[in-house]
Amino acid sequence: MIHVWMFLLLLVGATGFAWGLPSDGDDREPTSILTLPADPISYQPGPGSDLASRYCLMCHSAEYVYTQPPHSREHWMEIVNKMKTTFGCPISNEDMALLVDYLVTQNSLQPSPSAQHVQRDDRKETPGQPLTQSGDPQKGKTLYARHCVTCHGSGGKGDGPIGQALIPPAANLTLLGKQSDQTILDTLRNGRTGTAMPAWKNDLNALELNHLLSFLRTLTP
Amino acid sequence: MNEKNPGINRRHLLKGSLALGLASLLTPRGLWATDSPAVTLPFERGRRPLVAFPQKRPLMVMTTRPPQLETPFHIFNEDIFTPNDAFFVRWHLANIPQEIDVNTFRLTIRGRVNQSLSLSLHDLHTQFEQVEIAAVCQCGGNSRGFFQPRVPGGQWGNGAMGNANWKGIRLRDLLHRAGIESDAVQVRFDGLDQPVAQGTADFRKSLTLDDALQEEVLVAHSMNGEALPLLNGFPLRLVAPGWYATYWVKMLNDIEVLNQADQNFWTTQAYRLPANACHCVKPGEALTDTVPIGKMPVRSFITNMEDGQAIPGGKPCSIKGIAFDQGYGIDRVLLSVDGGQEWQSARLGKDFGDFSFRPWEAQFIPKPGHAYALQSLAINRIGESQRFSARWNPSGYLRNVIEPVNIHAS
Repeated sequence: MIHVWMFLLLLVGATGFAWGLPSDGDDREPTSILTLPADPISYQPGPGSDLASRYCLMCHSAEYVYTQPPHSREHWMEIVNKMKTTFGCPISNEDMALLVDYLVTQNSLQPSPSAQHVQRDDRKETPGQPLTQSGDPQKGKTLYARHCVTCHGSGGKGDGPIGQALIPPAANLTLLGKQSDQTILDTLRNGRTGTAMPAWKNDLNALELNHLLSFLRTLTP
Repeated sequence: MNEKNPGINRRHLLKGSLALGLASLLTPRGLWATDSPAVTLPFERGRRPLVAFPQKRPLMVMTTRPPQLETPFHIFNEDIFTPNDAFFVRWHLANIPQEIDVNTFRLTIRGRVNQSLSLSLHDLHTQFEQVEIAAVCQCGGNSRGFFQPRVPGGQWGNGAMGNANWKGIRLRDLLHRAGIESDAVQVRFDGLDQPVAQGTADFRKSLTLDDALQEEVLVAHSMNGEALPLLNGFPLRLVAPGWYATYWVKMLNDIEVLNQADQNFWTTQAYRLPANACHCVKPGEALTDTVPIGKMPVRSFITNMEDGQAIPGGKPCSIKGIAFDQGYGIDRVLLSVDGGQEWQSARLGKDFGDFSFRPWEAQFIPKPGHAYALQSLAINRIGESQRFSARWNPSGYLRNVIEPVNIHAS
């Protein structure tokens, strides 16, 4: 069921109708819609960027890291710990240190030596590379186990350990049967506004995304 | 969440393709490219792209999700009331309802009351006296980016504030309609926004009953003569004049009267100040006792001069600005052009009420070839002034030090 009206970008809607004192039986369009822009930037590719995408992008855009003043490692550790213990981010203990390492490479007064090798990497989006290709479901399965399973679960039902802790919960991927390849690839590339689904286009290239797509097709009954 | 906002899960399932149209306009390289429109604040990592969000003109984007948008500072020189489409935006939680049905929306008043109320927007417009007040809404972390040493948190310049004419219903009229139980001590406010992770506390704030019953506290439905923009809390927000904006709960849909002190996270753990008279500590010093953030100390700003600006020498130069406090009202504003050695009184402009920005203006004749260190100092009607030296606390709250502006005459 597609509610086309939900997608209308109503920039002036709220002022247009709201103060005509809505009353019973009033059949004007009563709904005010807020369509927010997608995240403008991703985490820069580098060791641990997939962790930042998986954990940090659940609740906030990557600008939260890049607009901070350069923090020491200790500060980043405190911040990540606060996200885990105070704000309930389900970061596993083994990922904590790797995530802090990554944040130090991104924005720190004393970047680790490896930071010098972390550069803006746009290779993932090669111009002219077809977005839809034939993927290998076996390779997709490997990628799925690395990037997706913690939220979407091994069977794709959205029942991964993190997925159940999200509002809304992670999507049930076994229900994607009616979605076009293009729609699924778009979601994989750009993420989904209003949910914890991050954009993967800077972590996975077009071929890898198509591997994932072909694996996702095996989940549909 | 479903009892508060039925249907949001369903909508989220439909949103996959929503953002794509905008995404093409907001590619990483496009938005953060150095040649795209931006304001660069005078601190490290201070570049803020200018992007128009729904119902907003291009504002300085600190973060896109949840939205945190800063008002470019020149706006404060153009109008004493900040235009709705330029008013700053700050959300804590990314699950912001993306649609509001004005016919089914209800505001509930419940808890320690004689009779719970569930009021439609129509009820609020027709059954209660409509009142209007001019008041400054300022984020507790406004100017955090200027803290030295720097502190974590949202790195605002001075534009996480705004002044508006707010119109709505007195909170106390609603509470009296419901009937306050004799054991009531606090009132807690909740909006429709929701966390993304289950482990994150829903955003709620509380006032003591005495504070909640002050006549200036409103449940507002409009600002500057128009409905609230969605990003500023449509259809209703709490307006708590004099209090920092964290108390001005947006998309307000639930008011709960409590018979004990609120224990929720956003009151007991977030938005806390060192529990001393200065609300400050030495940098790096650990906090022992803390208290919740409260009302705003007095501030003033020079609005018509930017740091580094050149002005013509040898003829009168007008310096304009704004001042405000927590509602005692501005008694006087002093201006120094020599870095704080000598001061002259500025002329105060029109008085829009004790909670509003107060315009001021002063003149001096700059000598050609001379540099001037402008400082403005506001004093409120109970004799409180701005600070001459900045206070420091680890969360970057309550900045009200004199803000110097250096100019030179040609």
